[in-house]
Amino acid sequence: MNGAMSAWGAIRVIAGREVSVKLRDRAFIGSTVFMLVLVTAATLIPVLIQQRVPSIRVAVQGAAAADVVDLATQLGHDAQDSGTALPPALAVFGEGGLPAADLTSVEVEPGRDVQQLVRDGDVAAAVVGEVPTGLTVIAAQSVPSELDVLLRAASSELQIQQAAADAGLSADQVTALTSPVMPSTQLLEARPTGAVPPELLVLVFAFLFYLSVLTFGMSIAQSVVEEKQSRVIELLVAALPVRWLLAGKVLGNTVMALGQIVVILGAGLAGATVAGQGEVVRQVLGASGWFVAFFLLGFVMLACLWAVAGSLASRIEDLQATTVVMQVLVIVPFFAALFTMDSGPVQRVLSYVPFTAPLLMPARVVLGNAAPWEPVVSALVVLATGVAFVLIGARLYEGSLLHTSSRLKALQAWRASR
Amino acid sequence: MVLALERVTRLYDERRALDEVSFTVRPGRMTGFVGANGAGKTTAMRIVMGVLAPTSGEVLLDGMPLTRELRRTFGYMPEERGLYPRMRVLDQLVHLGRVHGMSRAAATRRATALLDQLGLDDRSHDLLQTLSLGNQQRVQVAAALLHEPVLLVLDEPFSGLDPLAIDAMGELLRSRAAAGVPVLFSSHQLELVEQLCDDVVIIDDGRVVTAGPADEVRSRRGGRRYRVRVQGPRPAAELVPGVAGATVVEATDDTVVVELADPADDQALLAAAQAHGVLREFAVVRPTLAEIFREVVR
Repeated sequence: MNGAMSAWGAIRVIAGREVSVKLRDRAFIGSTVFMLVLVTAATLIPVLIQQRVPSIRVAVQGAAAADVVDLATQLGHDAQDSGTALPPALAVFGEGGLPAADLTSVEVEPGRDVQQLVRDGDVAAAVVGEVPTGLTVIAAQSVPSELDVLLRAASSELQIQQAAADAGLSADQVTALTSPVMPSTQLLEARPTGAVPPELLVLVFAFLFYLSVLTFGMSIAQSVVEEKQSRVIELLVAALPVRWLLAGKVLGNTVMALGQIVVILGAGLAGATVAGQGEVVRQVLGASGWFVAFFLLGFVMLACLWAVAGSLASRIEDLQATTVVMQVLVIVPFFAALFTMDSGPVQRVLSYVPFTAPLLMPARVVLGNAAPWEPVVSALVVLATGVAFVLIGARLYEGSLLHTSSRLKALQAWRASR
Repeated sequence: MVLALERVTRLYDERRALDEVSFTVRPGRMTGFVGANGAGKTTAMRIVMGVLAPTSGEVLLDGMPLTRELRRTFGYMPEERGLYPRMRVLDQLVHLGRVHGMSRAAATRRATALLDQLGLDDRSHDLLQTLSLGNQQRVQVAAALLHEPVLLVLDEPFSGLDPLAIDAMGELLRSRAAAGVPVLFSSHQLELVEQLCDDVVIIDDGRVVTAGPADEVRSRRGGRRYRVRVQGPRPAAELVPGVAGATVVEATDDTVVVELADPADDQALLAAAQAHGVLREFAVVRPTLAEIFREVVR
């Protein structure tokens, strides 16, 4: 009555169990929620902190001091306006490199003790002086950095204006002196840059891949041992070919791993969008194509080996020993990828080695030093390795699944294949 | 539907776990599979289920080699019980039903009905590991029966069950056999096998020692033994030397168990007994399975 059954149908049933078990696993849900909170916080908190333009009260005593603070207030205000086009995270630095700030000046009668005002904390700092060349900034412990930069800029601009006026220059000449036109830049081999340094993006992706392969790899291995240890495997093997079981496990966990990454990235991007960092979002989305492609290929390639590592153990306690090789296979490429972030022959070679390719090739694409055909070739290399691993993995898996008494060596499993 | 093992041999390294094992399991009959620990019962059953491959020989169903598609329609209870400890009972059965090709709806219906029948309906949403061992065993039975199997292979289905559960399990298997399903099960409990089985296969050290209908096996293995109770002036054993080809197996004062060699005539024994005194009993002795088993395995 139910003899006929498609491979796909069976694989889906096995994969479905993996997914539903994961969705009920408190540790999995907990770690996902934790990462979501972390990512959301990481995108929102800096924005909330940095978006606020500092308000600084400055005491002013003397004519020149008043002029400088007035100009500084003006510059701090202009920096806020011009900063709106930039992502808020960088707006602090303004377009001309000047920090945005709201300065409020407090006039102090000549002869009154400005130092006392500063000590009392009424003002953040005080500017004292009758002539532009004889100004003093008084602060308690340090001058707020925005104020410091703005005052220097205002003071030098006023002095240049003064010197120019003394020399009898025209208004245009004065403008040329104080607001010179900067040379325009033309890049012949421009590398894509964005609101976020591409190196950082690569690092984040590499870390996500690494974390995901390690946690899901371990969970594949555990799920295999669980079936071995509880001997459910005999019922399953009697009903389905071992290859289908392996495929179902890998599929289920790949779906969950990819799903987790998408949810986490999605939360990060949604957070960034809410925070008004549209450019970051576009940049990440643009770069993620190859990352996701390589993530999939790399994950599937390694997932089969994780299943084998699980099948070589007979009890959960043996897992540590049988998965050591796998952990090395994940950790070493991760660090290799980190240390070869600079382009060069080493990076070029490693971006074709199946274990490091999923990290390095998309990194090269994002860093802009890969020809368009390179990721395609590298992806094919990873794919071919993946297919080979699936075949080898299926045989080892078959050879070791029913061996339930002790730990197996890979060679034994290869020979023991039924 | 007849399951037949034909000269099935399985080597583990150099050791012969099974040595040219042949027997059949017939429809509508319960076949008991008996043997000492390590005799090869589990290996044979695993080979039937395709969990292990034979080194040589084959397993046929109605003369056709078994495929996985066919085996998927079998019900199997492995020796070392196997279910997911941290999965809910109903979910687990539904999953196993789907692994055997059932739809989710059909598997849910059937699992619910079986749990109800096994008295576990109130535990269907508990994790398996929270159930007692006996109840876990019942779930295991449900897993084997879930997909309305056309053949049942049960490795030690009675071990670990209390007497009531043994009765219930026996009844359950009988009803499946009565429905025309061939049932093969192994057991150490020989009285139980004797009581339940239509056919019996005795295996020792990887070889089938005897196989066939239980009655036949008992009379065949028994040779020609007779119990004679005679009330006479002298002990009953003294009548035996007068009969050609007869030897005493055991004797009390008025009763003697006699084994007749092949050419010997049982009528001569009867005549000698009647001449000896007042004949009270003259019966063919058929050994119990346990006796045969002990004799064979020794």
